[in-house]
Amino acid sequence: MNAPWPSRLWQRFARTRVGHSVFRVGLPHSNLERAQAMVSSFLLHVQPAKVNRHALRPTATLGLGLISLYLFFILTGTGVLLMFYYVPSTDRAYDAMKDLQFVVSAGLILRNMHRWAAHLMVLFVMLHLCRVFYTGAYKRPREFNWLIGTGLFLLTLGLSFTGYLLPWDQLAFWAITVGTSIAGYAPVVGPKLKYLLLGGNVVGQEALIRFYALHVIVLPGLAALGICIHLWRVRKDGGLARPDEPADSVQQIELSQLPTNKSYGLMELARGTTPQVGKNPEDEIFSWPHLIFRELLLFLAVVAVVLFLAVFWNAPLEQLANPIHPPNPAKAPWYFLGLQELVSYSAFWGGVVVPGLLVTVLVLLPYLDRGRAGVGRWFARERTVANTIFTVCLVVAIALTLIGSVFRGPNWSWQTPWQPPPAVVEGH
Amino acid sequence: MNEGPLHKFYGWFTGLSLLVGGLVVVAYYKDEFRSWKDYQRHFIQEEVRRATKPQQRALAEATPVQIRQIVLPELQRVDRCTTCHLAVEDSSYGGYPQPLAYHPQHDRHPFDKFGCTICHRGQGRATTMADAHGNVPHWDAPMLPLRYIQASCGQCHQAADNPAAPELARGSQVFEANGCRGCHKLGNSGGMVGPELDKVGARRSSEWLKKHFLTPAAVTPGSGMPPQKFSEPDLEAITLFMLSQTGESVPGFYASMKVIPSANEGRRLFQQKGCIACHAIGGQGGKIAPALDDVGLRRTPAWIVQHFRDPQSVSPGTVMPRFGFTEPEVRALTEFLVHLRDQQVALSLPSLMSPVERGREIYRKYGCAGCHGTDGKGGVPNPNAKTAQQVPALTYVADGYKKDEIKKLILNGQHEITPLDPKLPPPPLYMPAWRGTIADAEFDDLITYLFSLKPKGEDLGF
Amino acid sequence: MNPPSLNDPTSRRGFFQLTLGWLAAGFAVAASSAAAMRFLVPNVLYEPSLRFKAGQPDDYAESSVTFLEEERVFLLRQGNTFRCLSAICTHLGCTVNRASNGYHCPCHGSVFNEQGTVLSGPAPRGLEWFSVTLSKDNRLLVDKSQRVNAGQYLVL
Repeated sequence: MNAPWPSRLWQRFARTRVGHSVFRVGLPHSNLERAQAMVSSFLLHVQPAKVNRHALRPTATLGLGLISLYLFFILTGTGVLLMFYYVPSTDRAYDAMKDLQFVVSAGLILRNMHRWAAHLMVLFVMLHLCRVFYTGAYKRPREFNWLIGTGLFLLTLGLSFTGYLLPWDQLAFWAITVGTSIAGYAPVVGPKLKYLLLGGNVVGQEALIRFYALHVIVLPGLAALGICIHLWRVRKDGGLARPDEPADSVQQIELSQLPTNKSYGLMELARGTTPQVGKNPEDEIFSWPHLIFRELLLFLAVVAVVLFLAVFWNAPLEQLANPIHPPNPAKAPWYFLGLQELVSYSAFWGGVVVPGLLVTVLVLLPYLDRGRAGVGRWFARERTVANTIFTVCLVVAIALTLIGSVFRGPNWSWQTPWQPPPAVVEGH
Repeated sequence: MNEGPLHKFYGWFTGLSLLVGGLVVVAYYKDEFRSWKDYQRHFIQEEVRRATKPQQRALAEATPVQIRQIVLPELQRVDRCTTCHLAVEDSSYGGYPQPLAYHPQHDRHPFDKFGCTICHRGQGRATTMADAHGNVPHWDAPMLPLRYIQASCGQCHQAADNPAAPELARGSQVFEANGCRGCHKLGNSGGMVGPELDKVGARRSSEWLKKHFLTPAAVTPGSGMPPQKFSEPDLEAITLFMLSQTGESVPGFYASMKVIPSANEGRRLFQQKGCIACHAIGGQGGKIAPALDDVGLRRTPAWIVQHFRDPQSVSPGTVMPRFGFTEPEVRALTEFLVHLRDQQVALSLPSLMSPVERGREIYRKYGCAGCHGTDGKGGVPNPNAKTAQQVPALTYVADGYKKDEIKKLILNGQHEITPLDPKLPPPPLYMPAWRGTIADAEFDDLITYLFSLKPKGEDLGF
Repeated sequence: MNPPSLNDPTSRRGFFQLTLGWLAAGFAVAASSAAAMRFLVPNVLYEPSLRFKAGQPDDYAESSVTFLEEERVFLLRQGNTFRCLSAICTHLGCTVNRASNGYHCPCHGSVFNEQGTVLSGPAPRGLEWFSVTLSKDNRLLVDKSQRVNAGQYLVL
């Protein structure tokens, strides 16, 4: 009688025979029921029944990982719908985009949502990476999760890049031409990799169908798998990184030392921690409803932002792709512009060494950084060196990207955006 | 154990939910309320108002509000213009304001076979006015201003002396007469000093083209093209002709309509098919078959048409073979024969011309006038050229050169033009090599013509 | 001891906010689902249109049955009346042939009379008649989406 009306309404449904067969636990009223609600639900049980109080603070993680996940959901939803009209043929792709814009109900808004969510996802995955670094949440025992995260980051870039080609307009065609050319600079494997990506030597029908296959099934499939493992590992590594974690939270069980005259339950043998082990009970908060409700709010916020952008700003669509008329300058998608700027100085250093180094350092980071201090705290003093190096790299990357996007004009010449560029003598 | 009551978040929950709900409403509104629906309802109202019988009224009221399109797979386009332009086929809407106006003259180009954008350009797939009319970023083919509409005829039909598109024909004639071909390749022939013009109509707007004719260096920095002095009607005509060069390739059914029958086209065909081998005109030609000078008086046009289609059917026992002419060719040849009494048409046959006249035709055909002026008068500026900063006139070649020397000069060209001041940039215009372009047989006539340019009775004191 | 209720039901403001919030969220979900469904319904088709123009009335001889191959229909003219009969056999979809006093299907031998009624053979029902009207620019307009009775025709 004290519960609010939505709860009461739901409870009446959940107690019917049909309702009860689907939802075993109705709306929880006791702590036991709150724990059961999490554990008995397929979708919810990836999250623990209780979370640490610190994990609920917005400043702990800024919800960046969750935002990336929500954007992935939005992209998948809108993407599947768009698949009903888009045809990955060089003759029809551009016309399909125009049809979506003009004659398909809700076509324009769905396409806009898909495009803005894509850009946002690349951005937020990068921000999430920065947050995890700055809070030292890649350190032991979370090294492997950082690797999976790096993999997801590369998959996100791949998804964005493969999707970029699909409209088959001038923007798409030349951005991918530039991007695959940069890929071709890698030593030994470069040209072969480019040939494999494009299904040939030029950006044409073969490239389009390969990019489509990668974009709609291969990369999303791998990403979904990666996300599942990523979230599961967060659980297994002791939850989100926080400042007062016990130093040695991984309890190794030597199986050979266990007495053999008894049988063991799963929880005794499964390695790693569960939140109840060795934690302060006052710090543990029930996921239902405190975590769930916050997650719901964040989801609403993400949807609101994506919808807002989609309603008021149209995704770009330039002229039909024309292989003989490159725009001047031809620019890669924004997340590769920094690379393109570097490549303009030196193809080898900019296209091979720097990105190669970056990815290698990212992958090896948790194994290079042996220090145990500073986990769960932003900009911890103990990690000043690491933080400084990272920040410098970040600033340089942002600067290069800015230069590539705003300060480069025709023929990649320097231009200031507030002054008109010099007139270009166009060849016929 | 307790984080605290959740109700402090309810405000956020409500606010965000309302925001999302509100945005969904805005999105629905933007998607549902389109301008084309208003135009259609307006049209339906008008139809209802005009209905005189109850069943007409019922029919009008039942008209669905939906997107209408013409799918043209052979032309690789879809035109949705009729979504707003609903009365194009209804002559009772003549004089109505757009978009409900009637479109005249569509009998030969029915909408379901041609659509709209093949002639009017614009963006057929769009359903908003600004996008459909094409004057938007990232659409390279905005609608043609109506005064240039004949440019579109040139995509399927030949331009030269096209009786149904006089502006286009005029443009083509201005092009040939002013020797543009001397520097610019168009179709199969032309010089290489300037860029090819085969697709210029798809790349350039009418404003740019006009400016380019008047002050080339202003729109194309570094261009050596001399400013052209056209009369206003000629300027419009040649701009229209340039707009017609879109490089659009049209498939079978459309390309078969290339020839709009005209007497001049018939003359060209008569020459090309070699009819002169058997039939004489003006005393010249074969004697096997009847002379054709008066055929227009002796036979009706219908008889001549049938004779071309199947000579045996109207002239049993004739040895004239069935040539398999297309219908447009038949009509063009008939036009020609019927008008043979017209002197101009008859004497324009190359086989009837004198060498000087043929040479003049060759001079015209290869566009020599573009640099050397009409009838070799010169006067075309070539900055920093030693020859008085102009392309040299040809009037005195007979005095300065022997025939062999002239032929060699034309064959090999002259790339290096002596500059007046070596410190300034070299002259932009040069003499191209015409070897391989001008046929060997044409050289004699050309040189005969050039040598005839020397003004009579003038003593030059050379 | 039960923990204090997570919601404060005595707060009217909380109640109001929750109600409004869930209503708005519910509406957003419902509207988005409806929009997604509507999205999947095509507004334009690239198939050949069911309505087509069959030329001018005078293109057809006074008493004639003309087979229009691409559209798979017969256009019949008798004096000043025009009718349009489907040439698709109602059995399994073959194109029927014109016979001396009716129509005959070469695939399984169905025979139809001048009215399109089945006389013999496996066809379950007669050939369909389509509506013929006159368009604004004086062309015969056949609409294969509008079936009419055998007795209906266009009179000029």
